[in-house]
Amino acid sequence: MLSSIFSSLFTMNFLLTAIRLATPILFASIAAFITASAGIVNIAVESIMTFGALAGILGSYATGSAWLGLMIGLVVGVGVALLIAFFSMKLGADPILIGIALNTFADSLAIFFLYLVTGEKGTSASLHTPTLSKVTIPFIEKIPFFGKILSGQYVLTYVCWILLIILFIMLYKTPLGMRLRACGLNSDAAKTAGINVRRIQIFSLILSGFFAALGGMYLSLNSIHLFSKGMVSGQGWMGIAANGISGGRYGTLLLSAFIFAVFRAFSIIFSQSTIFPVDLVGAVPYFAVFFFVTISSILNYLRIKRGNVEEK
Amino acid sequence: MAETILKLEQVTKVYPNGTVANRDINMEFEKGEIHSIVGENGAGKSTLMKMIFGIEAPSSGTITYKGQETHFSSSMDAIKAGIGMVHQHFMLIPSFSIVDNIILGDEPKKGIFINKKEATKKTQELSDKYGFELDVTALVSTLSVAKRQKVEILKTLYRDAELIILDEPTSVLTPQETEQLFVQLRSFKEQGHTILFISHKLEEVKKISDRISVIRNGISKGTYRNDELTMEQLTSLIIGRDLDNDMDKYKTHENFENKKALVVDDLYMEMNGKPVLNHVSFAVKKGEILGVAGVEGNGQGDLVNCITGLEKTKYTGTITINGTEASSLSIKQRRDLKMAYIPEDRMGDGTAGKLPITDNIISTYYEREDINHKLFMNHPAIDLVSDNLIRTFAVKTDSNKTTVGSLSGGNIQKVVVAREYNTKPEFMIAEQPTHGIDIGSAEFVHHKLIELRNAGAGILLVSADLNEVIDLADRLIVMFDGEIAGYFPDANHIDESSLGMYMLGAKKQTAEEIGGALND
Repeated sequence: MLSSIFSSLFTMNFLLTAIRLATPILFASIAAFITASAGIVNIAVESIMTFGALAGILGSYATGSAWLGLMIGLVVGVGVALLIAFFSMKLGADPILIGIALNTFADSLAIFFLYLVTGEKGTSASLHTPTLSKVTIPFIEKIPFFGKILSGQYVLTYVCWILLIILFIMLYKTPLGMRLRACGLNSDAAKTAGINVRRIQIFSLILSGFFAALGGMYLSLNSIHLFSKGMVSGQGWMGIAANGISGGRYGTLLLSAFIFAVFRAFSIIFSQSTIFPVDLVGAVPYFAVFFFVTISSILNYLRIKRGNVEEK
Repeated sequence: MAETILKLEQVTKVYPNGTVANRDINMEFEKGEIHSIVGENGAGKSTLMKMIFGIEAPSSGTITYKGQETHFSSSMDAIKAGIGMVHQHFMLIPSFSIVDNIILGDEPKKGIFINKKEATKKTQELSDKYGFELDVTALVSTLSVAKRQKVEILKTLYRDAELIILDEPTSVLTPQETEQLFVQLRSFKEQGHTILFISHKLEEVKKISDRISVIRNGISKGTYRNDELTMEQLTSLIIGRDLDNDMDKYKTHENFENKKALVVDDLYMEMNGKPVLNHVSFAVKKGEILGVAGVEGNGQGDLVNCITGLEKTKYTGTITINGTEASSLSIKQRRDLKMAYIPEDRMGDGTAGKLPITDNIISTYYEREDINHKLFMNHPAIDLVSDNLIRTFAVKTDSNKTTVGSLSGGNIQKVVVAREYNTKPEFMIAEQPTHGIDIGSAEFVHHKLIELRNAGAGILLVSADLNEVIDLADRLIVMFDGEIAGYFPDANHIDESSLGMYMLGAKKQTAEEIGGALND
């Protein structure tokens, strides 16, 4: 039994599962990364994903179009981000506290709205909601090995890949990206160079809300086809953890997010067997996050102790 | 008469809390001159510069730049008008390359992308044109402080600055680097740039300036041609009276029987496999000030940390404080041996900026019975102690509840000195006790140190300010590369230039001569 599980780890299916599970974590990680790069903290990624996931489904139900639902979800995600910007920059509240507040009531508020519309508190399964599908790319699907990876993914996975590339170019090749990173690295330097730091930070929050909402909607509109209570289940936090590990390096960010997805894939495969308790197996991805964050902190500590402090 | 580039008329700045930073400042700056603005810390130099550079708006008065009245709403406007500023704390991003730091905010573009090629070419040409000898593709984190300053200057030149403000530019430079900077400033002047040089180092001001403007207590005390002003006149203009440099006459010479307040014997410590303290031995007698001179970073900091107990890393050798072997004792236990410490970093180590004066002024002896009733603090007694100290140490504040962080540097240092003084120490370490504070407060601190010395305390004075060490110390050691390079039993008769040779490692005394630091 155990050997059959292990053999299933090294199959195409396992890789495909990991890629499928990576999309929302990748969205969450860039949502955290973009604000961190601009020098503000957005720990509300998890709750924006929840709001986005619900708004997408309800929007799709109300308009009868998955794409319009997607737009509505994005508006809600960006709206929540703007709310954070308003509270933290205009009213001077601590962005961490705002994030805690949002994360605390996100689940309950989502269920409240779900109940208003469906009369149910668990899932949106009773609603007829159009959803987004998988995309098969002709010709490419025929390529051995890569065909299966490059074709047949969910729409929002492709959107994710394209956005990852665009974000990279934006951050590292354009004046806007350079200014954004400058704000995060030394806001005084940015200010004296004539950059409007506050405006850049608001912009980064908007992008963050946009990405996080997409991450949430990948779950509801695209892969699971309904909204259910607690469906984000810490994937927003995994994105934040990936950002923490990255230390500002884009490649490390994406790699960390993908590794977390691999552990989620592990836990799904192991949960199909009866060898280990399901609850324990379900906790594996979270242990992985704990483990990698600890390792990265220890490495950082050792670097500082050795005196090789990187100046940011 | 040269053309006037910048003119300040009746410029006044009152902050919302009522502090008057500048009052009725009138100054004129001519095109192509090097114009220094001098004044004590807190005299209002920085506020004035912020107004010129558009960071702050004047409360009243007019600033005229190139014949036009200006109302800059941000430094961006000032930059566009052709004013550049090199800040005292560098505004650089270490993980960016020199090019990226320079073009930030005004990037050459190709479509929507940064035109890296053109940017590199342009900045490299600029660097070469002014003889800066920089490879502009290098990361700023790899550069020395002097080179970073060059990058800052290049930033202003890249934005076509005609008027360049330099805020305390030499405070981070070695004498040689300062010399180099001055050569460059003179060449800028020849190319028609106007230099506004802010400093409190008067020798440098005398050396570089065409004209000098003095600010005292926010009020301008006039602009003078450099050649019509002597150093003494300049000093008295700045502090409003003549400075008393001769500390020697305040020293009394009682006999404390050669008792030792501190004995450091054969101290050795390694860091990253390199010795940072290499068999250092010396003693501080009661009733004397032992000066430690040296360029910063030659082991003085590690030495102080070992003696105070801040350094936890293993070192060998012994440290005896007031007769008790202390090398394995905690900081608290060492303080109980009547040790006091004025740390170099007054904001980081010396005080808690967000707490009021009362808390800061008792923080090293809060367990004393008169102010601590076992369960609760005795607040009336604390108020009494604080108010007494605030009065005797002339701390400028409205109340003893003012947070320390909102005081000026000189007053913060007075709080630290008052606290340490109040522990009635028999051994004190004073680490850069007057670094960066105004002349008046510095003089006050010096007098207090002498007072302690006269009362029989042994004082270890570590300072990078040579004049301070020579003025105050009875005996003197010079540190270089973790070792004592020279020992001078009579600090009153030292030739500064020969001291310099020891500080730079060009000369070193024999083991026998250095041995006097311990055995005299």
